[in-house]
Amino acid sequence: MISQFFILSPRGDVIIRRDYLGNVPKTSTETFFRTSKFYKAGDEAPPIFLVDGVSYLSVKDGGVHLVATTRDNVSPSFVLEFLKRISIIIKDYCGSISEEAIRKNFPLIYELLDELLDYGLTQNTSTEALKTFVLNEPTVVAPPASLKPLFGLSKGPTGVFKSVLDTNRTDGKRRDEIYVDVVERLAVTFNAAGHAISSQIDGSIQVKSYLAGNPPLKIKLNDDLLITRRDGSGYAGGGGYGGGSGFSAGDYAADSSLVILDDVNFHEVADLSAFDTERCISLVPPDGEFALANYRTSHALRLPFRLSIATEADPASDHKALVRLRLWCDVPADKAASGLEVELPLPGHVARVHCEVDAPGSAALAGWEFSDKTHLLRWRFKKVLGGMDLSMRARLTLTKPFGASLRTEVGPVNLKFTIPMFSASRISLKYLQIMRKDRNYNPQRWVRYVTSSNSYTFRT
Amino acid sequence: MADSKYFSTTKKGEIHELKEELASLDRPKKKEAVKKVIAAMTVGKDVSMLFPHVVNCMQTEDLELKKLVYLYLINYAKTQPDLAIMAVNTFVKDSQEPNPLIRALAVRTMGCIRVDKITEYLCDPLQRCLKDDDPYVRKTAAVCVAKLFDINPELVEDRGFLDMLRDMLSDANPMVVANALAALQEIQEISGKEVLQITSHMLFKLLAALNECTEWGQVFILDALVSYQVQDSKDAEKIVERVLPRLQHVNSAVVLSAAKVVLRMMEEVVLRMMEEVRSEELVKAWSKKMGPPLVTLLSAEPEVQYVALRNISLIVQRWPSILANEVKVFFCKYNDPIYVKMEKLEIMIALASERNIDQVLLEFKEYAQEVDVDFVRKAVRAIGRCAVSLEKAAQRCISVLLELIQTKVNYVVQEAVIVIKDIFRRYPNQYESIIGQLCDNLESLDEPEAKASMVWIIGEYADRIDNADELLETFLETFPEETAMVQLQLLTATVKLFLKKPTDSVQRMIQLVLSAATNETDNPDLRDRAYVYWRLLSTDPEAAKDVVLANKPVITDDSSQLEPALLKALMEQISSLASVYHKPADTFVSRQRLAVQTVDTLAAARSFAEEDVAAAAAAPQATGNGAPAAAAAAVSSAPVVDLLGEDLLGDSTPAAAPAAPAATPGGLDDLLGGLDVAPAAAAAPPAAAPAAAAADPFDLLGGMAAAAPAAAAAAPSLPQLLGGEKGKGLTVYGQLQRVGGRVVYQLHVNNGSATSVDGLMLQVNNNSFGLAPADQNVAVGTLAPGARGSAAVPMAYNPAKLAQGPANMKLQVAMRSNQLGVFYWDDNIPLAPLLEEGGTIDGQAFLAAWRGLPQEAMQKLDVTIADVEAAKARLGAVNLFVLAHRPVPGTGQDALYVTGRVFGSTQVLLELRLMRGTPGVDVSFKSERQELAAAVFAVVRSSLT
Repeated sequence: MISQFFILSPRGDVIIRRDYLGNVPKTSTETFFRTSKFYKAGDEAPPIFLVDGVSYLSVKDGGVHLVATTRDNVSPSFVLEFLKRISIIIKDYCGSISEEAIRKNFPLIYELLDELLDYGLTQNTSTEALKTFVLNEPTVVAPPASLKPLFGLSKGPTGVFKSVLDTNRTDGKRRDEIYVDVVERLAVTFNAAGHAISSQIDGSIQVKSYLAGNPPLKIKLNDDLLITRRDGSGYAGGGGYGGGSGFSAGDYAADSSLVILDDVNFHEVADLSAFDTERCISLVPPDGEFALANYRTSHALRLPFRLSIATEADPASDHKALVRLRLWCDVPADKAASGLEVELPLPGHVARVHCEVDAPGSAALAGWEFSDKTHLLRWRFKKVLGGMDLSMRARLTLTKPFGASLRTEVGPVNLKFTIPMFSASRISLKYLQIMRKDRNYNPQRWVRYVTSSNSYTFRT
Repeated sequence: MADSKYFSTTKKGEIHELKEELASLDRPKKKEAVKKVIAAMTVGKDVSMLFPHVVNCMQTEDLELKKLVYLYLINYAKTQPDLAIMAVNTFVKDSQEPNPLIRALAVRTMGCIRVDKITEYLCDPLQRCLKDDDPYVRKTAAVCVAKLFDINPELVEDRGFLDMLRDMLSDANPMVVANALAALQEIQEISGKEVLQITSHMLFKLLAALNECTEWGQVFILDALVSYQVQDSKDAEKIVERVLPRLQHVNSAVVLSAAKVVLRMMEEVVLRMMEEVRSEELVKAWSKKMGPPLVTLLSAEPEVQYVALRNISLIVQRWPSILANEVKVFFCKYNDPIYVKMEKLEIMIALASERNIDQVLLEFKEYAQEVDVDFVRKAVRAIGRCAVSLEKAAQRCISVLLELIQTKVNYVVQEAVIVIKDIFRRYPNQYESIIGQLCDNLESLDEPEAKASMVWIIGEYADRIDNADELLETFLETFPEETAMVQLQLLTATVKLFLKKPTDSVQRMIQLVLSAATNETDNPDLRDRAYVYWRLLSTDPEAAKDVVLANKPVITDDSSQLEPALLKALMEQISSLASVYHKPADTFVSRQRLAVQTVDTLAAARSFAEEDVAAAAAAPQATGNGAPAAAAAAVSSAPVVDLLGEDLLGDSTPAAAPAAPAATPGGLDDLLGGLDVAPAAAAAPPAAAPAAAAADPFDLLGGMAAAAPAAAAAAPSLPQLLGGEKGKGLTVYGQLQRVGGRVVYQLHVNNGSATSVDGLMLQVNNNSFGLAPADQNVAVGTLAPGARGSAAVPMAYNPAKLAQGPANMKLQVAMRSNQLGVFYWDDNIPLAPLLEEGGTIDGQAFLAAWRGLPQEAMQKLDVTIADVEAAKARLGAVNLFVLAHRPVPGTGQDALYVTGRVFGSTQVLLELRLMRGTPGVDVSFKSERQELAAAVFAVVRSSLT
């Protein structure tokens, strides 16, 4: 049972507040903000903490905190998922979530909350069903530039900021469209020898639908998709998802023509009756944004970057050293990584750094910087095309003589990047069919792929 | 339309302006004004003075405006109860509107107004709406019943709303079912009574509904399934079969709740010990299915990951096999938030095995070179903990630690020294070759724990370190400035050095240290230890050697291991906040909404309690399956328990393992018993209440409600605690009692002074049971001169109030009043009220506990028992639960195995042997707290006579 729900601005101001049970003091908003701001030893506060018998559960989105308080022994993931759901609904109705968007739409948000939560009990949370109950017009707000995610940096489909209430319009300005985004986040760790010692993709097929009347859809994925479980014996009951029986990941890992997924889960609207045989998913998309499927895999990934690093002494001076980095971009030539950042931690006794970069002309170097405080050296590139080969050299000035230990103290190198229209797992949508027998009905269909770094680390 | 402008109205005369706008005839203007009011309310400004003006806007056709007004009403109705009445008419009218949205809105809002006066008017509209044609109205009405119950439970029961709710469980609309279920669960929570019991018939309905309802409803149903009592292993299999697909859900709450159900069924299957092979197979198959979904949870946002990781760290302790091969997925990413990294580290340690240790060590080494100091320290400790728990990997761990020491990073070196000390304790005389390398880093040690560890190492291996005396001498130079921890280690190390190498220079050192530790310190621990050594050394150096250089017990790594009983309790609370805090729910969930109670409601509760007691007495027989056998086994092995082995090992084990506080079958049945009588008791006329409150306390003690002389006058039945001069005219009677499943301090205050007295508050001193008032107010209101008042102060367990040292039954109480100052008195704690209703454990746990505990206390009670069944019932009535009853072969005696839990989670175990009709009952007592024996014997005696 949720006692209170409130939304706080980045500065801790209350922008939305509802009290359901009246068993938590009104000062809880301040208690929450103070506790999370000044958590033990300056560490980031965990999403759940207990103060004076009141549990505070929170998620952060668009710079604002969505917080629920309770005195009961509730299911924490239930509450967190619910808070996430509220944030999605706000995005669905107001175009984005931010302090501004909430302030501009507060009567609408109160209306929505009325339907979402009654007496601390969750009610209807489907964006679509809620439409019946809201009367306020939304004021669509695009996120402020500082929060605007690079395409794919967050998990959801981006670039579209409009309200689901748009589909109710009858004034001819309505635009029917549907977005299907395959979003993959890469977590890869390379050892000092350059081999990937762990690699995993957390992927998600995100759907954002603005189709009036919610016509059914049919989506087909790769035929060579294989979903495996560790023991190979897929789960046979239930919805019938999960791979066939007897497959073993090991047998197929070498066969790179297959796309192998370790685990998949589907949204409840997914009808999987044709999934095992044809890899087809039928669904009636609810309004707004939702994850049709989440998957993860560690098999046969296409790793977009490789890197080698060498640290050597400067023969001219024992208070200088040279670090050479070479980075290969292993994606097809027609793709490009944007917003590439190469981050290199340096030991505390590096006083100054000077960098040189050799890159093919089009890989515009946006700059480099070295921070004395964090001891991080960072290169930024605007765009790196597939097949490019970048060399970076950093001359370090040291406060103490060069020692062999410097080699292990430099690094590990972390990469941040986003590659549009590229999926590291090679999962792809073969078709997206809108099942409506109307010749004139031809809504926009957007299918997009994006791979971004979650944690892409080269150890040294 | 940009509504944000409402937030910026701060100019003067704002309120006045708003009043005018609210009165405006222009609807849009009116609406604007109400929005401004709501915005002001949100940011915390007081706009309650606008109440009548806003309420005036309520009569409107405009639904949007109506909603806004209702929002305001909910917020302020409590502060303006008289004005809130004005709204009632509109509510009643709205609840008959043709538009279902308006009907639902009216019902929803009415219930949120927690004003007693309104509730009566609420009943008729609610009754109508519960039977409404529109499911949206019905589901809103269902929740409203729970709201009403919170304000006025009697009303809900009188009007038969509970039955209507139960009927709604069969509604055609899943949303209505879900809300009815949620409302019933909530009412059960508030009242502590069983209003909803899952039968096998209902189980089927719920399982079927699982596929149809929303993700939130699924969580509700899964959580409800956990409390279902499985009949046999077939049942368990059937449930798991239906629940397993839920593990694939996108919503992490559904996944975790489904995992909770499967884990619970695994326990059931294991417990039932079906043909060994089969149960093993099932557990193995289910474990395999649970692994991948749990791993998938780690792909979610950090917040969700955190919850998953806290739960997984419990799951891997209980069922290591589920994730044994998955250690890699717990490797930290560089951009994980620190709270996620710390949890992952713990799980990596738990999953480290000889097979994966190389991989894991490599990771730890990487982490130990990161920038976050706390994380680095924890990584170094992790290496040490792996070394301690994996013997074959110890060598590799040590070489990693040595490499880390080479980095010369100050805090890394210090942490490494600390863990190497632990490794030396775990594997004595195996790795001292590395001491040389440690000694090279003495100058970088500046933290007490690291210094103390290094000093310990030097002392322990003084005979192998050539320059041990020089090393210690450098440390001794700063002896007076060191912290107590380092001083103690220095003292001991010097003594060890002296015993091993009694050279002249060492002799001088020891004299120096002993005199410094005895004369120049005000730390009693240090002084005492120094005197002990001094005396030992001067009387018998050989004996000193035996004492100081004795072999030390080997340590184990249990820093992350939870007590088995706690783990068991937490496993039953997977996917709840308890599993995130790793604390059982009753330590942080307080019944705040019930905390302040008047005497009347407590008295009513008390009459339930008596019924409960009777029901509880019946419960053990129902739950005793399999227990007799277990208990019989206990007898055969019990008397000869090897104390030494258990006790001395416990170098780092906290002394008192809290016994299972879990809700066990007995507890449930007991709630169930309460159910039947609840409505009747609640409906009891108010006149009956004082009588019940006045009932003799011994009536609970004796467990014979019927026979008790209930007619006694209120005050004298309670012992006098305060009076005469000390009381400055106030006379207080009182006693600790058990009422409605909790301990209350029943107080009766006579005001014999010349002034009115108010603001009475209670506090207690530290005591042996950690008793503390849950709410300090003594709710007697203001007592005029000559007036009297009764109050029951609920008591709660507060670990901070736990007195150290041997148990005694004394309670020191202070009560303050606004007029007469503070009073103090001493009271005795009767044990009987401290025995808890849910205090039974299952046969297995009893057996394990009985074996694990040291020699019992015994006493022969001079009572005669003719009817064993009656005796069982009497024991049950005081919350001592009979787990098993069997004849003792060849003696004609009967043996009863009895357990109970004392307030503060101390389990007591009893064996009673008796001959029917012959005087004398032999009672054996075992518990973590042996000192409770006498008090428990007294309770047994009084309950049996």
